[in-house]
Amino acid sequence: MGNIFKKLGVGLVVGGVLVGVARSQELPFDFQLLFLIIALIGAVLFMLLDAPSIGVMSGRKSLAAVAVFWVLLITVCFVGASSLPQFDPEDERAKITKLLEREREKSEQGKTEKLLALAKSLDEQVKKLEDRLKGVGGEAIPAVAPIPPAGGRRAAVAGGEDDVMKVGEEQWQLQECYNCHKLRGEGGKKRGPELDNIGSLLTVEEIQQKIADPKSFMAEGYDKEYAKGIMPNKFKDLMDPKEMLALATWLGSFKNASVNTPKPIKKS
Amino acid sequence: MSAIQQGVKTIQRALPAVNGHRAWLAGLLLAAGWLALPSMGIAAEGTGAGPTEYRDVPYIGSRTLVWIVAQLHLLLAGFVLGVPIFAWLCEVIAWRGGEKRYDKLAKEFTKLLTSAYATTALFGGILLFLLVAFYPKLMNYLTDVFFPSFLLYCFLFLLETVTLYLYWYGWDAMQEGRKKSLHVFLGFLLNFFALFIMIVPNAWATFQASPVVIAEGTAFERAWAATWNPTWWPINIHRLIANVVLGGYICGAYAGVRYLSVKNAEDREHYDWMGYVGNFIGVFGLLALPFAGYWLMREIYQYNQQMGITLMGGFLSWLFILQAMLIGVLFLGSNYYFWLGITYRIPGSESKYRKAMLMMLVSLLLCLAVWMTPHSLVASIEEAQKMGGAHHPLLGVLGVMSAKMTVSNLMILITFMSFVMYWRAGKRDTAGWAAFGKAVMGAILVLASIAVIVLGVWGYFVPAIVRINYFSTSQVLIVIFVILTITPLTALLLKSAKTTTEMVWGSMPPRAGYSLVLNAVMVILLMTLMGYARSSSRVHWHVYGVMRDTSPYAYSPALGSASLIMAFCTFFFCILVAFIFWVATMGDKYKTAASAGKGELPHGIPAMAGGAPNKGQQE
Repeated sequence: MGNIFKKLGVGLVVGGVLVGVARSQELPFDFQLLFLIIALIGAVLFMLLDAPSIGVMSGRKSLAAVAVFWVLLITVCFVGASSLPQFDPEDERAKITKLLEREREKSEQGKTEKLLALAKSLDEQVKKLEDRLKGVGGEAIPAVAPIPPAGGRRAAVAGGEDDVMKVGEEQWQLQECYNCHKLRGEGGKKRGPELDNIGSLLTVEEIQQKIADPKSFMAEGYDKEYAKGIMPNKFKDLMDPKEMLALATWLGSFKNASVNTPKPIKKS
Repeated sequence: MSAIQQGVKTIQRALPAVNGHRAWLAGLLLAAGWLALPSMGIAAEGTGAGPTEYRDVPYIGSRTLVWIVAQLHLLLAGFVLGVPIFAWLCEVIAWRGGEKRYDKLAKEFTKLLTSAYATTALFGGILLFLLVAFYPKLMNYLTDVFFPSFLLYCFLFLLETVTLYLYWYGWDAMQEGRKKSLHVFLGFLLNFFALFIMIVPNAWATFQASPVVIAEGTAFERAWAATWNPTWWPINIHRLIANVVLGGYICGAYAGVRYLSVKNAEDREHYDWMGYVGNFIGVFGLLALPFAGYWLMREIYQYNQQMGITLMGGFLSWLFILQAMLIGVLFLGSNYYFWLGITYRIPGSESKYRKAMLMMLVSLLLCLAVWMTPHSLVASIEEAQKMGGAHHPLLGVLGVMSAKMTVSNLMILITFMSFVMYWRAGKRDTAGWAAFGKAVMGAILVLASIAVIVLGVWGYFVPAIVRINYFSTSQVLIVIFVILTITPLTALLLKSAKTTTEMVWGSMPPRAGYSLVLNAVMVILLMTLMGYARSSSRVHWHVYGVMRDTSPYAYSPALGSASLIMAFCTFFFCILVAFIFWVATMGDKYKTAASAGKGELPHGIPAMAGGAPNKGQQE
């Protein structure tokens, strides 16, 4: 037993040293905890080599032990995985809905549905007018509210500057540009240049051109990525012109000269 | 259609003018009524009359139900395809080496196959019905593409069933002479058909992730093009190895449970030995598994970079931290079992190897810590400000693939050395070249470890493509070289070695049995996790880039809720396997009682387990 306590002591000391080093390096608390756990796992494993033999269970006791094991395992799996950073399925659902909505709008069925919705809304308005006419008799009828255009999202693109920026940022997220490009200190895996100063280097039209045709510009120092065609040539199919313009306008607003965005070189 | 469009425009223009022109209203109402007539017909055509794309079930949902049944079918399939490989290898060892207990072990596991095979087929049938019912459009499309291979699959099933019955029911009748050779050939055929039974449906599954669609050609040509898709062979190899690992660890778990429950010494010896064999096969498969996994990921990146990014750097990246955790526990559990073996089966060896064990444990834990380091840390705003971003200057470096590939290779090397240590325990070298041989092996190991680390560090300074194509591949080749060099050298050394301490079977403490069970549970959990990863990597596509998932379940479930399903699948699978074992061995205790004293029980010690080479051959 003495040997076991000795090993536990060593484990705790090693864990303590690791936590101390991690703290001195200003590592997040989760990592300090992780290092302590890893040191203790090591100590427990080594202690188990010397631990006295435990009795073999049978009958109801063994059944209860098996049940406890499974409850524990399932709980640890669920709690452990839930404590890791979670993506929100709602985000993905929203993206899918948008993608499907666009495809649906383009399809014959989508066009039909849109018209039917419009016809239904007109029908309702006509009914409302009819009711008012019946109700007010000879009185003046207040002006009919303007008909909301079908597809609020499109209206937003055509709307004010704030809406354009919102759609632009939305497209950045939707097309997952952050997977390759760093912006505002987030995202990027060095596959594409950091874009915080792109607005100072390219006009909105040029950014739009680059998105639609990735071969039109090459970021300085990204020769290999350019030659390999790392930037996918798919966005002109995935975005409509208004959405692409919104994304380009939004990107064009980034003019942070303190960030070294590589100079774009015109290629074609 | 254009008439409706025209009509709508007319009404739109007219409405604002209504104010003050009440007389027009009646006309407009008539127009609306006129428009409504054709629109009713179109609505019926567009929604009600179209083919059904999806169906659902209340509460659990179609996706979750299909997920659970598919995962259970896959795990059972892994079991019924892994066990024959395991059993056949044991039979061949018994046939060529004369060790009867290997034959007994092979028979004990083949006995499980008939009931396991039926259960697997049952779950396959349920899965098919559910898929046809819930996803008719997708199944229709897949049938169009793969129709010829559906027929082939049915034919293979017939062949496999016939071979399995002949192999199992002919076991006792084909024990001697040429009949035994025929039986071994039947075992080979069983595995040959089983391999094709695995790779044919693999084509359907991999096609969904990396489809190759040709518009022209015959049905056969289209099916063949779709079958030979970029991830087909990487998955085939990965699953083949994983099935052997699963078979090995389940054998170990079965032996562990029996070891804990048997009463007499002879049975304890037998199940202790069986546990060793199961763990040995599981570990050797496990050593090769990361290589296959690496190849698969490489192919995914080459097929579609976005899919690779989704898996490794996108929303699924934390899943790989979980994977590292499970593999880490598996490596620790397998090594722990070897160390327990040294401590309890070979008395006197523990003090000799204690320091080495401690060194190995520390190295494994360090490697695991690196493997588990994420690239971007979860930090509060204050913590992130202190670090200067989401990437810590030190830990950020450890979170990339170059570091992870290096430590995974080192963990493989350490586990291999753990096994060699176990193999050598209780022996004294007598060969004249022993000192030189050991020096060569030591040098190989040290140089290989240094080379793996150097390549890993160098990997930071070269383009990713050079690292992936040359450096990581070289690391893998170095580790394979070490295994292929040290294994025969050790075998040669031990051929003339003197046994100083006989191996004592049946002396392991109960926790050895528990560790075998835990290892099996970890492998199953790992397989369920990777099932979720493979399926989620397609994101909202049934067939990536070809057929979009437009069902309400097109999104990927979050890791936390997904892990609950994975844990339940693991639980259900273990219950099923326990049931299969129980059914298959139900009559054994009565037979054992009747034939007490006649049965063959293990006495020998396998050479690889540290026994004298002539042991176990006298039977």
